[in-house]
Amino acid sequence: MRVKRVSALLSGMLALALGVSSIGAQSQDPVLIGIGVAQTSNVALLGQEQVIGAQIAEAYFNERGGINGRPIRLVFQDTAGDEAGAINAFQQLIAAGVVGIVGPTLSQQAFAADPLANEAGVPVIAPSNTARGIPQIGEFIARVSAPVAVVAPNAVRAALNINPDIQNVAVFYAQNDAFATSETGTFQETVRELGLNLIEPVQTFQTTDTDFSSQIATALASNPQLVIVSGLAADGGNLVKQLREFGYTGLIVGGNGLNTANIFPVCQALCDGIIIAQAYSYALDTEVNNTFREIYKEAQGKEPPQFSGQAFAAVQSFVEALIAIDNEVGLDSLSLPELRAALNAQLRSMTFDTPLGPISYTEEGEIVQEQFYVAQIQMEEDGLNGSFVFIPIGDEAEEAEPQATPSS
Amino acid sequence: MNTTLFLQQLINGVSLGMVYAIFALGYTLVFSILGIINFSHSAVFTLGAYFTYAFMGLSWGFNGLLARQSLPLELPFVLAMLAGGVVAGLVAVVIERAAFKPLRQRGADPLLTLVSSLGIAVALVNLIQFLVGAEAYSYPSARVLGPLGLPPALNLSTPEAPLIIPTVRVVIIFASLIILALLVLLINATKVGKAMRAVAEDGTTASLLGINTDRIILFTFFLSGLIGGVAGTLVGLSVTITGPYLGISFGLKGLAVIVLGGLGNIPGAVLGGLVIGIAETFAPSSLKDAVAFVILFLILLARPQGLLGKAVVQKV
Amino acid sequence: MEGFITTYGFLMVTMTLQAMLALSLYLPLMAGQLSLASPGFYALGGFVAAVMSKSVFGFTNQQVFPLPLVFVEMAVAAAICAVVAILIGVPALRLRGIYLALATIAFVEVVRVVALNLEITGQAIGIFGVPQPFSRSFDYMALTLPMLLLAIFFVYRLERSRVGRAFSALREDELAAAAMGINPTRYKVLAFVMGAVLAGIVGVVNAHLLNTWNTRQGTFDVAILVLAYVIIGGSRTFLGPVAGGLLLTALPEVLRAAAGIQGLPAPVAQFLQDGRLIIFGVLIAVGTLFFPQGLITPRMFRRWRAAHPQPAAARRKEAQA
Repeated sequence: MRVKRVSALLSGMLALALGVSSIGAQSQDPVLIGIGVAQTSNVALLGQEQVIGAQIAEAYFNERGGINGRPIRLVFQDTAGDEAGAINAFQQLIAAGVVGIVGPTLSQQAFAADPLANEAGVPVIAPSNTARGIPQIGEFIARVSAPVAVVAPNAVRAALNINPDIQNVAVFYAQNDAFATSETGTFQETVRELGLNLIEPVQTFQTTDTDFSSQIATALASNPQLVIVSGLAADGGNLVKQLREFGYTGLIVGGNGLNTANIFPVCQALCDGIIIAQAYSYALDTEVNNTFREIYKEAQGKEPPQFSGQAFAAVQSFVEALIAIDNEVGLDSLSLPELRAALNAQLRSMTFDTPLGPISYTEEGEIVQEQFYVAQIQMEEDGLNGSFVFIPIGDEAEEAEPQATPSS
Repeated sequence: MNTTLFLQQLINGVSLGMVYAIFALGYTLVFSILGIINFSHSAVFTLGAYFTYAFMGLSWGFNGLLARQSLPLELPFVLAMLAGGVVAGLVAVVIERAAFKPLRQRGADPLLTLVSSLGIAVALVNLIQFLVGAEAYSYPSARVLGPLGLPPALNLSTPEAPLIIPTVRVVIIFASLIILALLVLLINATKVGKAMRAVAEDGTTASLLGINTDRIILFTFFLSGLIGGVAGTLVGLSVTITGPYLGISFGLKGLAVIVLGGLGNIPGAVLGGLVIGIAETFAPSSLKDAVAFVILFLILLARPQGLLGKAVVQKV
Repeated sequence: MEGFITTYGFLMVTMTLQAMLALSLYLPLMAGQLSLASPGFYALGGFVAAVMSKSVFGFTNQQVFPLPLVFVEMAVAAAICAVVAILIGVPALRLRGIYLALATIAFVEVVRVVALNLEITGQAIGIFGVPQPFSRSFDYMALTLPMLLLAIFFVYRLERSRVGRAFSALREDELAAAAMGINPTRYKVLAFVMGAVLAGIVGVVNAHLLNTWNTRQGTFDVAILVLAYVIIGGSRTFLGPVAGGLLLTALPEVLRAAAGIQGLPAPVAQFLQDGRLIIFGVLIAVGTLFFPQGLITPRMFRRWRAAHPQPAAARRKEAQA
């Protein structure tokens, strides 16, 4: 139900947003793009955001004529939250004849399912896998989700700009989350490099936890002036809320996983002031992002989160690479395996102007992203809504130089 | 560890333990009367939190079948919580009628009931997601603590050496204790309670004595669902309704709590909650789940029937 | 056919592995012990395979992993699981019913948390790029199908052996069994160790099949699911868990395939896709109503034997001879 209804809604709104009526060039068979993300299980919240991002991309590009008049169609298969589910979904997508796959949601799932797509010669763009070693799985694997090495230090520097007296830093991270464990490594390194005092032991939690009082009491006993949290929306939001309830008044830096309006209902007014490391900022003022943001807000009533932005960028990469191939040799002249191989090569040879800013992929499949952001959350009086306010960083341009992850 | 930190952690442990306890009370009630582990309690607990949200007249998010819908009534939080609890109780009654009663009539293995309740939990959790999406929902604090003029947290000591407890946790502690007291009173001092005990002892004999076993079982399920629904709301208030898996994430700890306390022993659920809550709080954060379960393991070795459970009389 | 095998090869192999996992839980149950430790040993076995193939044998996933080394991993995993099972089983098997189930779940949780904290198990990310003995998922069938048949045959023979009869005596009445001279602890631990070894071996194969292994494998959720395999399939005969494991593993994928059938009305297809797990849950609950003894019961065998008296009688004669 959901998928159909939302896309109908979206194309309607899109027509309004773009001020055009439907372009009637949808006569040929659509080109299939697979979306294999977690639509069920306890990571469904992330998958749900990815589905929306991908659907907006589908509607957006079809409105603009698809691939030179030939529409695209997304094929969804639920990976659920486990490795076997990801493999099953990927097999289904490959069998359905998709030209490429956007997915899966978790890095651990990617390590299971990506080798199969690679073996089958189907290009994959990971929308949210940030663990070390993802693009190295194989030549057909790329990712649009930047590993965190670049973003995290900027957020800590932003905190120091706001409060230069910071000395003690307490670090918390979700121990069972692949993303948070790699991100916290960068955060801890940055804290040491900046000559700050990292409070030991570093406190850990699980993404399924809801109570953090023990960790908070232990950390607050060492009197931190800065707290850094790497986790996801629900756990991260609750941790922030409980930190404030326990009387912590200093600055809080949230990792990339907290870069979503989904934390607003969790910590409500207490979210105010969190400094967030962002790989996507809805405030980016480009045509594609403004349109994306407008459609998302119309459909979801809030600002688009990073997961949706990244999923959009992944679909966009496929579409624009397909257009380039069509311009060059014509899609019809290629068999499906040839098209998949050509698509994979094409992805790595051009630049895409996405809602994330201009991106490209290295030969290995790692994203080269130029713009990263630091924002601070500002909650409205009632604590129901808030916004991410962009914090400019002085040496932004150099700092944001993309950095390939060390290969494993 | 200094005294203030020790006391603070003790408060944290008690407060967390009571969260486990309030989840486990309705869970253990069904076990005490029917001798079955009812996994669907987790889902009923979650439903209670969502029902309360609906009764407050708040609207659903943008995903799922009920996107942007809301009920045309706007109850204050406390009333909505009670209404949510009653509806959760009715859901439990439906589950009993549709799934457990037919199994009981066929004299099925209690493990079969456990598996059936697992199926129901899976279905309900996914139904919630189908209807209202996977996003988090919260009761706006302005409509909950605001009208009562309560701050988000209380300081039980001086400003210099504070001992903090979030206000909602205080509510949960009192609610757990009140529910515990009422349940003990109900079971030990009322006619219904006597009938419940008789059914727990032996359903057939109870019906021979003129007790309407069927109705007592229904009542037990209703009560369990009511307690579960209210508990879900209070926990949802404390940590927000983090998604359809809110209750499921308490399933394992909840089971540990009632087994540790002694299956079917109602005060045991509170004691078990406290032991696990305090153990977790004092453990190093990276090992806290393991420490809790190692302690559970060791206690079970020393007391194979749980802390307050009656030793099983072995038949000869 | 080729397409079917490519698409569903992984699923079929997973079905055979899950059926074995169900048998690993059934083994202690034969002696009346409700142990949910299988996923813990399964996780352990997977880590043994992932660590050994990458770090000890030094293979990468670019190379073909020799099958004999998989057997070496199985032997190591079996030995480790057996030792751990004895250490846990001796004290824990004094517990009964749900109390034992929970004590064994405690073991599962401890394995998970320890693995989350160790460098060697890769913490949250786990171990990836586990080398492959086969080039396609389906080819694992050449390994797992004989394994499953062997496991079935083993349990079948076991049920008819002296040890198996001691197990079932314990299951029916522990005191009476003890009075007849059966040492309860010894046989309970034996059953527990057998289950642990089987689960560990399944983990070894699965780590290769999945390409990766991490702490999300072999958790409480898996424990409950495997218990469902056994109970839905039937806990009174060795074929029950096998049937339960095969069926319940396939069911969500069957529902997924059903959503893709051409010509379904759009809302139905959409519900089948989005509501797949709602249906799955309901089917489990309904299944227990229709098969209160499980799908496969010993009575079915008796009935089958009654209908085919000759071969059975012949077998009996053979056995007497």
